[in-house]
Amino acid sequence: MRGSVAAELLVARRRPSTWILLGTWTLLALVFAYAVPYVQYLNGSSRRPLDDVLPQHLVAQLMAGFPFFGGVFALQLGVLALGSEYGWGTLRTLLTQRPGRLSIFAAKMAGLALTLVPFVLVVDAAGALASYGIALREGAGVSWPSAWLLLRGLGAGWLILAAWAAFGVLLAALSRGTSLAIGIGILYSLVVEGLLSALASEVGLLDRLVQLFLRANGYSLVAALGVSPADTGDRGPGSFSGPFVSGGQALVVLSAYLVVLLAASGWLLQRRDVT
Amino acid sequence: MDDLVVETRDLTKRYGNHVAAVDGLTMRVRRGEVYGFLGPNGAGKTTTLRMLLGLVRPSSGQALVLGSRPGSPEALARTGALIETPTFYPFLSGRDNLRVLARHSGVRESRVPAALDEVGLVESAGRRFETYSLGMKQRLGIAAALVKDPDLLVLDEPTNGMDPAGMAEMRAFVRGLGRGRRTVLLSSHLMTEVEQTCDRVGVISRGRLVGEGTVDELRGGEQLWLRADPVERAEQVLRALRGIGQVARVDGGLRVAAGAAAAPAVARALVEAGVALAELRPERASLETVFLELTGEATA
Repeated sequence: MRGSVAAELLVARRRPSTWILLGTWTLLALVFAYAVPYVQYLNGSSRRPLDDVLPQHLVAQLMAGFPFFGGVFALQLGVLALGSEYGWGTLRTLLTQRPGRLSIFAAKMAGLALTLVPFVLVVDAAGALASYGIALREGAGVSWPSAWLLLRGLGAGWLILAAWAAFGVLLAALSRGTSLAIGIGILYSLVVEGLLSALASEVGLLDRLVQLFLRANGYSLVAALGVSPADTGDRGPGSFSGPFVSGGQALVVLSAYLVVLLAASGWLLQRRDVT
Repeated sequence: MDDLVVETRDLTKRYGNHVAAVDGLTMRVRRGEVYGFLGPNGAGKTTTLRMLLGLVRPSSGQALVLGSRPGSPEALARTGALIETPTFYPFLSGRDNLRVLARHSGVRESRVPAALDEVGLVESAGRRFETYSLGMKQRLGIAAALVKDPDLLVLDEPTNGMDPAGMAEMRAFVRGLGRGRRTVLLSSHLMTEVEQTCDRVGVISRGRLVGEGTVDELRGGEQLWLRADPVERAEQVLRALRGIGQVARVDGGLRVAAGAAAAPAVARALVEAGVALAELRPERASLETVFLELTGEATA
């Protein structure tokens, strides 16, 4: 199993799409979490106080981008992790090696889980540098969030990305490819979760359904880390203004998503013929 | 039983309610032989090999590969395979692709250079797979099958896409593999490939095994072919001659079921009966003729 995980990490490390997604996600996170708010502050917007982009608000400022924007990147990473194997035909090459199908799948998922770690760490490190730079430029005092809050932020970020990546893996397993899976995944995140979440405040029946969505639970988890619900309601296609659930419930639901989606994907892989 | 590396019994694969891709296939591959799996395109060769590797589940029937269930870690650990076109990560070099497979297989990475060397790919090992020619891809596929130093090699159309020189080299290579302790199961639709490479041949048609044996066994015994005048009288004389099997009229001549040793007696009998003998020669059915007859694809 360790050998298989090492093999998967070698593939992930050398795969150009891993680096493209990591770079794009980091860049967008910096633009939306720091560059835009800072420019708005410089332009005298009263909605953007300087405090938001200083190191003390690092966790809240970055975490707000994970439930939707980060999620879409993780979804693509998940689709590519399994779907590309169908596209290239490498799945049958892998499945004729020594381990059984579930061992190969477990190794792939372990590799994916580890690949997601830099997606959290790099964005956090880049955010820390950006906020520190802004503090220096503005001559503001630098105080960092507590280590415990940082750790919880990293964990929450990873869990949100992992749940979305698992969704991508399932879509790839269902469609046995990448294009359709990415298309449906983005459509689902934007249209189904996005529109229904927006309508939830007007249609009471939708309220309970929306509470089960990845978007609602992702935003609820980051809200528990200090992200203001007022901020998440104004984020373009990733907007979310409720209903929120408790942080604990969000943790359980996202973990359940992760387990159920991966179990379903593993079951599909185990059961189907590979041609 | 220990001598059987692959054994199937009534192996069947049906897709939905359609015609079976493989229909009650029973075959045995013995240890140390190069077994040719010969059949036209769509006969069920690749489906059978996929079932033997656990990629496709049989609808019914049984199979054992190296004494274990097909696709089990025990069987796969000792099996190297190349199914249809070689498939690897396009962005990885040939060497890194083999490293990935070695790690998955639990094999030491020191096996990788040896496998590359065996197929003559050492110099190109650092190039990305996507830049390889078809022939190089095929070689890398063979190298991947060899990384585990397997007891059984399953090769599906290994010379696909190769130029004539490459094909000849690959056949000699496969032949060499079979001379060691390895068993090779080779599928092909090319008669010459099977004829030159394999110890035994199984002919598959429409999912069924329609013939099995050595190439000589499949081609059958030697025959005599003759042209004589009048042919009716010649046929009459030969039917009465002792030690002669069947006599059949073919293309205006006669085909006689007898070996070359019977030729003098046949000639003498015909001359003594006043028949003009224009041509007499030993003849043997080509593998192609046998194949077309077995698969029912011979033209009327």
